[in-house]
Amino acid sequence: MGLIEKIIDWVDERAHIREIYRSLLVEYKVPKNLTFPYVFGVLALVTFAIQIVSGMVLLLYYKPSIADAFDSATYTIMGEIPFGWLFRHIHATGANFFMAIVYLHMFTGIYYNAYKKPRELVWIVGWLIYFVLILTALSGYLLPWGQLSYWGFIVTTEIPGSLADAPIFRDFFKAIAETIVLWMKGGYVITDITLGRVFGSHVLIYPLILLALVGIHLYLVRAAGISNPDGIEYDKKKHPDKFVPFHPYMTLKEGAYVMWYLAVFFFFVFFHISHFLPPDNFEPANPLKTPPHIAPEWYLLAFYEVFRSIPSKFWGFVAFNALLILLLLLPFLDWSPLKSARRRPLFFIAFLVFMFSSMALTILGSMPPTPMNAKLGLIFATLVFGFFLSLPIISFIEYGWYKAKGGEQQ
Amino acid sequence: MNAWGIIKTIIIGGSTLVFFFLLWFYNPFKHVEHYEVDEEVKQIIANPWKKTESGKTIAEEGRELFINFCSSCHSLRYDGIYLMSIQTNPKWKKIEKSAGRPVYRHGILYKDRFFVPKDVYEAFAHDELQQLKASLGQVPPDVSTLYLARGEGYLYQFILYPGKVLPGTSMPPMFNPQADPQAKEKVAKIVAYMKSVNTPPPKEQMKRNIMGILIIVYFIVAGLLLWKYRENLLKRLGYH
Repeated sequence: MGLIEKIIDWVDERAHIREIYRSLLVEYKVPKNLTFPYVFGVLALVTFAIQIVSGMVLLLYYKPSIADAFDSATYTIMGEIPFGWLFRHIHATGANFFMAIVYLHMFTGIYYNAYKKPRELVWIVGWLIYFVLILTALSGYLLPWGQLSYWGFIVTTEIPGSLADAPIFRDFFKAIAETIVLWMKGGYVITDITLGRVFGSHVLIYPLILLALVGIHLYLVRAAGISNPDGIEYDKKKHPDKFVPFHPYMTLKEGAYVMWYLAVFFFFVFFHISHFLPPDNFEPANPLKTPPHIAPEWYLLAFYEVFRSIPSKFWGFVAFNALLILLLLLPFLDWSPLKSARRRPLFFIAFLVFMFSSMALTILGSMPPTPMNAKLGLIFATLVFGFFLSLPIISFIEYGWYKAKGGEQQ
Repeated sequence: MNAWGIIKTIIIGGSTLVFFFLLWFYNPFKHVEHYEVDEEVKQIIANPWKKTESGKTIAEEGRELFINFCSSCHSLRYDGIYLMSIQTNPKWKKIEKSAGRPVYRHGILYKDRFFVPKDVYEAFAHDELQQLKASLGQVPPDVSTLYLARGEGYLYQFILYPGKVLPGTSMPPMFNPQADPQAKEKVAKIVAYMKSVNTPPPKEQMKRNIMGILIIVYFIVAGLLLWKYRENLLKRLGYH
């Protein structure tokens, strides 16, 4: 032990690690009453790390060319390379878990109003992460070069083409639509060039952007401080009893949650992979044969259902993009300084409507497109839009109540 | 937590769990087609690595059947089976060795079978594949991973009754249960062979299961220990 301590001392004299450790972990205070859902941020970070490491291993054996892509994924990685299957299973599970955790993290943020002043930037950067994550997921989906990969990519890249359906300025919108489609596909048909572009984006460009954004996101969380589930911003100096040191109070708690999360994660990796490596994708891509049911992955089904339940393609496209933009503008729609659904009864009801509607849209998206489902989809889509558009009014009413009560201590 | 807090947790947490159960375990709203394997031959497909009376495994017998009945149209590249007309071409033997590599799967090396990249094979077999396309309407697909894509029930029913399962298919019925009492067994052996190419053998599968259980137990125990350690530490530090 003596030697190890000497080495640490030697390093510390030069790198001042103990100082950084104290100021960043021990002296960093977080609210004592953080609830379980606050762990999703850490879980997202862990999953991101898992994705990067497992992706690096897959990158060693994957071949980004139309002739070799399918075989390298299904034959080389799954059979030839020892434990190649493990890393592919981990990467597939991680992709689904990453999206799931990010959604849970977003809903937690919405529930506790963690996007309000002074945390608007945290939310905006988080939204950017979500957007780049969708791009990463879409690009990664093409790489195994199976039937689902290929046709999923075709359908996704054709969706902006719906702009050509515009009621006015048709030529203008058509030009934009064609340009976007061309950009996404990298040509008029999907060739080696497209696969190369998608591969490069998936393994280098998007992860680098994500890393940078995650860094900024974490910095902003530190700068603005973690929100409080009670919705009250306590002063760290005036109320030291409401705060605890991040380490060891939170790190050990979240460490334990991370361990249990990984136990669930590896249950899927070893014993329940069929939903993450769907059977249809073990058929090599065939541009001449369209599979009967093409639907996006589950994390996009809600948007997809909004898109397809609206009769006009153009307005469907506008609607689901509007949904993304509304999500970005959330801090400004919900303008009142009142925070947390715990103290806001109207917001709590609206949140439940929003949550159940998004779930219903996702489930509907996995069902065949019957007229009945389209009608239900339209109803739930209206409810989701209703949530966003009613927020300014809810804010107004609740702020009125708050003022009428005399506006007790924030 | 008060009663209202518990109710809220149950509503939100419970519906989230139900939601992910529907997505990741079982979705009753999703349309799935089911094909069944006949009871009498289920055992054959269940374990392709079982030895039969002839001293060979079911998978090996299935491989011979596949070469005899299927390889005039279908290749199975992941196990080194190419079109019969190609296999008999002496030039191909040279190309197999120069452009391909011996089949190595789940830790087992098959010295006499070669995995050749798709483009090399399709370029070499271009004329033969085009002839098949001319007579059948499309190039019969390589069936290396069809077991994973379609499942055993579909393959079994499709090989026995191609027209019934996929109307309009150009695949001819190669086996007739009415004329040949062993037809069902033969088809089951072929399906078992295709399964053996795509799934790890029982020993390897057992290794994977043990590995999975150990990893899961490790993480659960590690979590519990961390939790316990935290409780003791917080008591000592005075955070109740």
